[in-house]
Amino acid sequence: MDNKKSNHEIDVNKRDFFRKTAALSVTALAGTSLLSSNARADDPAIMHHVPWGQKWGDPVTKNRYGIPSAYEHNVTRRNTKLLASGNYRASIAVTPIHESMGIITPNGLFFSRSHGGVAHVDPNQYRLMIHGLVEKPIVLTLEQLKKYPSVTRTHFIECPANGGQEWRGPQFNSVQFAKGFMSSAEWTGVYIKTILEDLGLKPDARWMLAEGSDNSEMGRTVPVEKVLDDAMIVWGQNGEALRPEQGYPVRLLLPGWEGNLCVKWLKRLEFASEPWYCKEETSKYTALKPSGKAIQHFYANEVNSTVTSPSPEIPWTNLKEGDIVEIEGLAWSGMGTITGVDISFDGGNSYVPASLKGLVLPKSWTRWSYMYTIPKDFQINGKQIILASRAMDDAGYIQPTVDEETAIMGVESVYHRNGIETWEVTATGEVNHVQLRS
Amino acid sequence: MFNLDRKLIISASVAAAVAVFSGCMSGNAEPKGESTVNGKPTIDGGVYYPVVNDKTGPYYVNPQVAIDAKKIYNGRVPTANELKAWDKDLMPDGTGYPEGEGSVEDGEALYEAQCVMCHGDFGSGGGGYPALAKGNGYELKKTLTNNRYKNADGDGPVRVFGSYWPKVSTLWWYIQDGMPHPMSKTLTVDETYALTAYILNINEIEYEGEPIDEEFVLDREKMMKIVLPNNDGFIPNIDGPTGPDDVRAFYADPNNFGAKKVNPAERCMKDCLEPTAKVTYIAGAGISEFLPPMATERSLPKTEESNGGAKKHYEEACMMCHADTSMGAPAVGDAKAWAAVTAKGMDAVYHNGINGINGMPPKGGSDLSDADFKSVVDYMISQSK
Repeated sequence: MDNKKSNHEIDVNKRDFFRKTAALSVTALAGTSLLSSNARADDPAIMHHVPWGQKWGDPVTKNRYGIPSAYEHNVTRRNTKLLASGNYRASIAVTPIHESMGIITPNGLFFSRSHGGVAHVDPNQYRLMIHGLVEKPIVLTLEQLKKYPSVTRTHFIECPANGGQEWRGPQFNSVQFAKGFMSSAEWTGVYIKTILEDLGLKPDARWMLAEGSDNSEMGRTVPVEKVLDDAMIVWGQNGEALRPEQGYPVRLLLPGWEGNLCVKWLKRLEFASEPWYCKEETSKYTALKPSGKAIQHFYANEVNSTVTSPSPEIPWTNLKEGDIVEIEGLAWSGMGTITGVDISFDGGNSYVPASLKGLVLPKSWTRWSYMYTIPKDFQINGKQIILASRAMDDAGYIQPTVDEETAIMGVESVYHRNGIETWEVTATGEVNHVQLRS
Repeated sequence: MFNLDRKLIISASVAAAVAVFSGCMSGNAEPKGESTVNGKPTIDGGVYYPVVNDKTGPYYVNPQVAIDAKKIYNGRVPTANELKAWDKDLMPDGTGYPEGEGSVEDGEALYEAQCVMCHGDFGSGGGGYPALAKGNGYELKKTLTNNRYKNADGDGPVRVFGSYWPKVSTLWWYIQDGMPHPMSKTLTVDETYALTAYILNINEIEYEGEPIDEEFVLDREKMMKIVLPNNDGFIPNIDGPTGPDDVRAFYADPNNFGAKKVNPAERCMKDCLEPTAKVTYIAGAGISEFLPPMATERSLPKTEESNGGAKKHYEEACMMCHADTSMGAPAVGDAKAWAAVTAKGMDAVYHNGINGINGMPPKGGSDLSDADFKSVVDYMISQSK
């Protein structure tokens, strides 16, 4: 009886809905079978009671720390043997950005990179030492550190090797692997400059060593100018403690700069007049140019963007000519704030502006959008669509083409590749990662 | 000069507090990013968001913080011993080099015992671990101009210690802190000198004009004199009083680092590609071995295997070394190799695996329980019959 009643209500609602929709767009409905819905089979998902609707759900005492629905188990970080050094201890697991929503990465999906494995630090034994060219050196417990006045900022962190496997050509038919060496979060911590107000930097302090307490004792050298600008010591990530993969209990955050500089499991900051030459800032994280000279101290991740929907992972195979779809993507710049994104359907030969949407924050992921009507066979002028996005920032930078970037950097530099990414849509709606290059 | 910079940066927030009262800013307008700090370009080539009207970019800031922070000291002064215990970094000028010594000969023995299983014979690498040497560092430095930009099938650059690293202090420091990888900080100072000496030797690095031979003993004073082949291979300069400004000047020119600046109104909107640009596809299958395999369906996960996840544990903890013979470990599937291992009896196999043997760290570096570890051993043997 209940079912009958609700079916009647649905019919009434549907009639209302059809009338309104038809008034808005008669043509949009043409060719669909919505108006002749009586002729179609009824959907069992509507017609039958569903299992979760007829029995008790979990008590609130279950999963006191909530976990995703079991149905979401494919939404995970992923790794590949190519990047498996150290038995996955000096390795990376990358973020499924094809599944990302908004500009925040859930903590469990935030990309994970370490040089000696993910350390598990006892917060009671945690100590942070700040010394060197300061008037007053200091040792802080975690509790003492968190007493400093905090700030909360939304920033992406990007491994500068994001896209670095593809200098010589596309390799990953996946946006997760081609562009997912990055994530974004809302971080809470203290500006280092706030702590330094009392400690007092000595006049010839030009550099700061940041060192981790993990098995590899990962260290990097940071210029004092960044320390006195927006460098943070963070303990909060999206409203909770940092995850172990992000350096629990404390990491360095240098907004916009190489993820590797944002030292995790942070134990020590030392100020000096000369730089250190740590392993990761000499043997790695340096960009070899055709001259044979390599760029060291390559700090900021340059303006960048990619289409995230469609993707090789979630293609357009369920769409047909005339369907209207939202193309979405991410843009980001470690040098400032995104000011615009252009989209191309011919691999970057011609562009139209896309729309930014949601919050547009400095040194943060920024989401962009474009409403698109699918052409026949996913073709324009007889050629398959090749989607490309090109972002700009308020520092005045724009993404270079692959040709423009390689003309200066060659193809051996590994790091900091921000050439325009391109995605071909086949006649059946599959999406392939391609490059446009001479 | 730097003192002045710092005062200017810090005083920006004080100036902002004044601005509120003088009413020179309208409302809470979002301050724009600026490309200069104290009249100089930013050090990274990006913009800087000054605190204006109690805001930095879109974020409000509490103006009390900059003033009160001058009085906050929440911790304590480290003791001299604490500083000594943690301040163990090395700098290229010799700062931090400890007293001690080690010979190439001792280094080779240590290498064979603790390093070769990952870094390969004579540092040749393998199994995803970095190579430490590929021959004469001075000769190999010449390969750094190899660039497969115009010659896709040519040889690429060789970036190993001898050909690429600028400073020997980096090697010593990293061995002491980070090696051997599964049990770091277990080498003595003398052992670290010995291993450094051996790696210098296999890279054919010279000391005072002579190649470092097997008789060579490395110590603090000698290490300070060694200049590596690629010492001058990096830009921009970071050393000395001008270091930060040299970096600043470098990033002020987008052409130095492959970036591009444009007036937004003049950006290219059509005919933007080189006429020669064509669509390049992934060669073959590309890199497509993703773990776990790529999938986007919404479904319930498949139930665990009946062997208690031994296969999964194997893949996560053991496969890197046991998938083939390149790491010197018995390869799964190699019946002969495993017959030799199990000939000692299963108790010995479990014991050796749990405690480590040859190059294998205890339990392969995994944190499996003894029971789970044994089930993985059983699984590997079952796959090798």
